[in-house]
Amino acid sequence: MQRLLSEVFGQLDRARRLPWLDLLLIAGLAGLLLAFVDLGREWTGVHRQSIAIDLSPSALPRYTMFSLFRGMFAYVISLGFTLVYGYWAAKDRIAGRVLLPLLDILQSIPVLGFMPGLVLALVALFPHSNVGLELAAVIMIFTGQAWNMTFSFVHSLRSIPADLREAATVYRFNWWRRLRNVELPFATLGLVWNSMMSMAGGWFFLMISESFQLGERDFRLPGIGSYMSVAVEQGRGDAMVLAILAMVTMIVVLDQVLWRPVVVWAQKFRVEEGGGGEQILMHSWFLDWLRGSRLVRWVRWRLRELRESRATRDVTRATPAPSALPTAVERNSRAVSFAALAFLVGVLAWGGVKLVHLLHEVPAGAWGRSITAGFITLGRVLLSTLIGTVWALPAGLAIGLSSRLSRIFQPIVQVAASFPAPMLFPLVIAVLQWAGVTLGWGSILLMLLGTQWYILFNVIAGAMAIPADLREAATSYRIKGWQRFRRVYFPGVFPYLVTGWVTATGGAWNASIVAEFVTFRGQTLRAHGLGAEISGAAAAANFPLLAAAILVMSILVVAFNRTVWRWCYRVAEERFSLSK
Amino acid sequence: MKREILCEARHVSHDFKLPNGKPLRVLEDISVSVARNEVVALLGPSGSGKSTVLRILAGLIKPTHGDVLYKGQPLVGLNPGVAIVFQSFALYPWMTVRQNVQTVLEARGVHRADAIERAERSISQVGLGGFEDAYPRELSGGMKQRVGMARALVVDPEILFMDEPFSQVDALTAESLRAEVLDIWSTKERNPSSIVMVSHDIREVAFMADRIVVLGGNNPARVRTVVQNDLERPRDYQSPQCVALIDSLYAAITGSELPDVTSTVAREPGFVEPIPNVSPSEIVGLLEFLDARGGKGDVFKIAAQTNHEFGRLITTVKAAEMLNFVDTPKSAVLLAPEGRRFVQAVPEQRTRIWREQLLTLSLFREVTDVLRKRRSRSIDKDFVLETIVMRMPQEHHERVFKTFVAWARFGELCSYDEGHGTISLYQRRRAHQVAPAPQHPGSGLA
Repeated sequence: MQRLLSEVFGQLDRARRLPWLDLLLIAGLAGLLLAFVDLGREWTGVHRQSIAIDLSPSALPRYTMFSLFRGMFAYVISLGFTLVYGYWAAKDRIAGRVLLPLLDILQSIPVLGFMPGLVLALVALFPHSNVGLELAAVIMIFTGQAWNMTFSFVHSLRSIPADLREAATVYRFNWWRRLRNVELPFATLGLVWNSMMSMAGGWFFLMISESFQLGERDFRLPGIGSYMSVAVEQGRGDAMVLAILAMVTMIVVLDQVLWRPVVVWAQKFRVEEGGGGEQILMHSWFLDWLRGSRLVRWVRWRLRELRESRATRDVTRATPAPSALPTAVERNSRAVSFAALAFLVGVLAWGGVKLVHLLHEVPAGAWGRSITAGFITLGRVLLSTLIGTVWALPAGLAIGLSSRLSRIFQPIVQVAASFPAPMLFPLVIAVLQWAGVTLGWGSILLMLLGTQWYILFNVIAGAMAIPADLREAATSYRIKGWQRFRRVYFPGVFPYLVTGWVTATGGAWNASIVAEFVTFRGQTLRAHGLGAEISGAAAAANFPLLAAAILVMSILVVAFNRTVWRWCYRVAEERFSLSK
Repeated sequence: MKREILCEARHVSHDFKLPNGKPLRVLEDISVSVARNEVVALLGPSGSGKSTVLRILAGLIKPTHGDVLYKGQPLVGLNPGVAIVFQSFALYPWMTVRQNVQTVLEARGVHRADAIERAERSISQVGLGGFEDAYPRELSGGMKQRVGMARALVVDPEILFMDEPFSQVDALTAESLRAEVLDIWSTKERNPSSIVMVSHDIREVAFMADRIVVLGGNNPARVRTVVQNDLERPRDYQSPQCVALIDSLYAAITGSELPDVTSTVAREPGFVEPIPNVSPSEIVGLLEFLDARGGKGDVFKIAAQTNHEFGRLITTVKAAEMLNFVDTPKSAVLLAPEGRRFVQAVPEQRTRIWREQLLTLSLFREVTDVLRKRRSRSIDKDFVLETIVMRMPQEHHERVFKTFVAWARFGELCSYDEGHGTISLYQRRRAHQVAPAPQHPGSGLA
């Protein structure tokens, strides 16, 4: 037996030495290149009045690739934005006082409200090609990705332990070395986790942009989202299933091939707490595979050689020991930062003035209507969150408290949480119409579709974090049933539940814009609500009303965040925190 | 022989900014000088601002008042020859030992091939050869601090600054590290020519330092005394001279921290004694400890026997003394009659005795008086905070408040509702209502 095993492993080992790994890698790279060429052709292609989607299964991979690249492109922009904006906000105290509240507002306002205006403006800017539409999609995805990444980055930069910072000062790291050797490594873990979340949030916006129709006009882009929406229009069940499968495949593949390896790589940047060594580290087959590839090893080796040879040539370039005085670079950077801030504040002020002018044109009655509609939508948002909580709290507890169930369901829930609900909207609307449910109630279901997963996800995480000793204590004192839920489980998961609620309501507000105003099979359905006001105003190109409605929604969201959710956070932290 | 002064602080005072915007004076009129070829130690209990003095000398912190000179010239920015060994090591966890050391050379523009060689040499100098490619998380505390030393030594510092370098290292390793640091320093023709170290360990400074600057007092801290230590190296802890030195250092610290004569300024009307940040259980523990050992002990022996940092123990003794539980002639601690009564009482009586002693302190008396006058028998947290800020402007008011609550709760004097932020007179619940008080008032989330 022993010999047999060792022989098998020996065989495997020899197989690993065959270059099929590298061939596969080269094939992958070639495919990537082709994809870029195709993408370029699509972008610069002539703008069409309405979309032509090929529903045959063989066309689907290409559409999936288009969607994937839009998401990735937006992510790269988000990352760039995060690094620049976050660094600026964290380093310049004065700028931070403007930049951080601005970021907070950007994060809370329903950005989807700007989509109609953005699409119209960009299409007008590039009337002869698809660039405008593609750009609009990328910008929309960006707005769904960037904010939490930026917050995470700023938070990391500000919470670098004092001794690590002092050591950098004492040993005279200049700003670049500080960034590269201290700040970026420290921020990496948080940035990676937030990137994963952002990517999932980005698909939501991608699906909406890809299947965007405004009244008579068709702004759909070739991609999974439009594939799905055309499939629903034509009633093609097989195509719908295929589109959903393609989306799930994309999410899973992206997780395995991109995020998992990145997370594993980022583990080297963890700052150990206490004893250490006991953390369970993750593994990634793809990363192991890449590291085993001869091609990759060769490239890495060459790169290292290049670096070393540059280092030996560095003698002449060796800079003199930096002085302790603020250098010219630092003084310049302060000037640049100030100028940029002044410019930003100027733009904001100008925008503010413009907005006030625009809002002057709004009749008083419209304000009243918007506010009433706002409360109706608030009701829908809260109702959808309530329904989500009612099923997700028990389900999440059941999954999180059982290691067997969580092993089975955790990956499924992760995929479900990343799955963009708007993709299912056309399907759900078709079913609702068939069942005779009005959009007023139906839109609650549409909101719920996207947001319930946030609650479930967080409750599972919370349930898993309840310390075993608390559960054992409850068992040993025979605390059971309702009392166990009320005294142990609910307080235990409450902080996580609040996070889930905040994310879910944020998503629901955004969803209301597309859920309350739907273009379906050429006809427009609308529910009474603020989301419909926004979409309707945009469709009618009534910009003063659009601005007023967005403003009302932003104020409602911010006010709700500042009062109810902040209170919940405080309660969670003061009374139910397990770390204190 | 007049020795060349490398670096000195002259009449330095420093303020921290409190969260409420007011300045808090942490150092007052500190003068310290570091000559060539000497080891200077800053000694004092925790919170005496030793680390701040070190950072001022290193140029990391600019003092609010006073001058810092480097070779006679005013210091602008960082001290030119500075390298610091940190208490918490401050190694970058994402870099290997080699990278951690090498990167500080590269930051100075040392070209790479040179940096590689110097890092290698420095790492083997501290006895870590073979560990170059390990990550800090793989190393023990002592080895981490060796990396910290290698990183400091590699930049060839004129003065080596060490901030409680061995306090997070196990005792035996610390012992060998001390000797190794002295070995490296004693090579006269090579840097570091001088060492400035911060420590709260009296034996450590007696072993290592040529001059010991004793800091004391809390907000602001002052230089209590400077002790010259001319014992020959290598020193022997057991030698009579060394024992005598350690004793005199003990006496110097106790003298400043636990004065035998209560200072007269403390009794002005309106003055409120600052309450030391000590938990009741620590005070009770001290009394039990004394009671089990015939009612008396020595501060430093108790510190050693209970594995306490002596600064912390002194604070506890101070607190017990305020409550009239102990007397402290010199460095001895005696159980006072009130303390003996307390230790020998049953729990119910203990609470009563504690409460009586609390009421001898003006802060507690004042707050209870106000509470008794209120019909609701409760006041806002902010009222107490304001009283603390007004009467003890030098103290960290949130911390004093926390101690206030802990002491008052222990004596069943007041209760504090964290959710509402109110303080009320303690009332015992009737037995038939609720048996024990619920830990979380209404934790079911109304």
